[in-house]
Amino acid sequence: MIQVSNISHFYGNEQVLFDLTFEVQSGEFLFLGGESGSGKSTLLSILSTLLKPSSGELLLDGEAVQDIKDIDFFRQSKIGFVFQFHYLINYLNIYENIALAATDDKKQNINKILEELGILELSSRYPNEISGGQRQRVAVARALVNEPKIIFADEPTGSLDSKNSTIVYELLQDAQKKGTTVVVASHDTQIQNYATKIIRLKDGKIL
Amino acid sequence: MIALKALSKNRLKSFLIFLSITVAVMAIFLISAISGGIIGMYSKMIKTDGDIIITQKGISDTFFSNVDIALMDKIDKIENVSSSYAMIVGASPIGHIPIAAIYGTTQNHFSHYKLSSGVYPKEKEVILGENLSKQFKTKSIAIANKNFEISGTYSSEIGFEEGGVVMNIADAGTLFNRSASFILVSSNSPNAIDEIVKKISAMHSEIEVKTTQNFVKEYNQFKIIENSSFVISFLAFAMGLMGIASVMSMIVNSRKEEFGIMRALGKSRFFIIKNIFFETLVLSVVSYGVALVLSLAVLALIPHIEMLQGYVNGSLSASLALYVLASTIIMALLGSLIPAWIASKTDPILLINQGCA
Repeated sequence: MIQVSNISHFYGNEQVLFDLTFEVQSGEFLFLGGESGSGKSTLLSILSTLLKPSSGELLLDGEAVQDIKDIDFFRQSKIGFVFQFHYLINYLNIYENIALAATDDKKQNINKILEELGILELSSRYPNEISGGQRQRVAVARALVNEPKIIFADEPTGSLDSKNSTIVYELLQDAQKKGTTVVVASHDTQIQNYATKIIRLKDGKIL
Repeated sequence: MIALKALSKNRLKSFLIFLSITVAVMAIFLISAISGGIIGMYSKMIKTDGDIIITQKGISDTFFSNVDIALMDKIDKIENVSSSYAMIVGASPIGHIPIAAIYGTTQNHFSHYKLSSGVYPKEKEVILGENLSKQFKTKSIAIANKNFEISGTYSSEIGFEEGGVVMNIADAGTLFNRSASFILVSSNSPNAIDEIVKKISAMHSEIEVKTTQNFVKEYNQFKIIENSSFVISFLAFAMGLMGIASVMSMIVNSRKEEFGIMRALGKSRFFIIKNIFFETLVLSVVSYGVALVLSLAVLALIPHIEMLQGYVNGSLSASLALYVLASTIIMALLGSLIPAWIASKTDPILLINQGCA
């Protein structure tokens, strides 16, 4: 599902990733671990097509990312994101936030997903009207709405208490069990219990 | 539509942008209209009452001109001349008013001033423009240490005249020590005007004879007012439009995180540009509309402000209104779409991180 070949990345003159090569099979749950500054968020951004690598090749679902003509549609239809700070659009209500991410043929799934995640009653509220845990569940719902092949999550529980963290991990595990590949970058070692594969980074290199 | 949702949900931000654009557009409208209005009022005064104007040769301003009023008798005898009248234009403190315009004119021109009350002035009498009359409840007024009885009040469409005093030309001659500032001549045959100009020019070596249209075009004071008003209007216009572009640019830049999220969710650059385009269009058109209505209201109020004596006036032409509309929309779109376009080309994660910074 994910093939990484010799990926390096620079911010200006500073190299943050060094010639990384690895593979993730379809349906795996990958935990990207490492300390702050190890390069895990940069690697996650590159894997999720949000950042172009300085060099190297990335294949997602068999397609070389640099050759994909409509990267926006590819991202929308095949990739789901969960960010640390949920990043919901503040002027859209919960339903509209999820609808913004949904492809036309998946809009009908919105209420079903909201119900599965136990947040259907929040659909007409705005992000500033719900709790942090509820927001992160909305972010997971948004990531799942298009039934993506891969979900990337960057510190998805960074701003949550342990109870809400467990809820988010279980939601990601449910997605993995249904066949979705899940890649999580986190400090939280609790996530290792859910992972089928672990990659640890230090100073931009795989340990 | 997301664009309208963004505007209505972020009310304070939308209101501040709306206010900035409205004030900028109003500044453009009012400065352009008022400076244009000053020239318009003076040229209308001259243009509407005659085809030919006679002033003293080599004088840059009609305030300093002195023409022999006796020329009128000879002028009236020229073929195709229908009428002529003489005027003295001056300014003087009147009672507690620091300065007001004084129009001394021949009796055959009194009808130009529409009486609202009383009768036209005889010797040692004046009629007051309606704006000026509101400031005097007395039966007489002092002009340059001379007392004049108030015989009536008049109205005029021209603001300068509304705030002024009209008297007999002989009285004005005594006040300003001249025969006439200028003589205006009307013809019953438009084709004969050039011939009349030649004939009058030949009557005296110290006079300058022009059609009123040419006079207005060439009058030095108008050129000065026109040039300075152009500079002021241009600066107001440039500052207003730059202000609009800056505000839009700042607002779009402050939304980088939002664009980054949208790109991360797979929304295309076109989607972002399209929404910013509609937001900007709605905001700039609504702000423009409000600015136009408020400017028209202010311009309608100005002539009624006693303190201004009617000397400040202005009107908005359709061409100016359209020009400002087009400029407002173009500058607002440039100010918003350029940073939006640049942002849309940036890697989504960098936008999100920049937005957090």
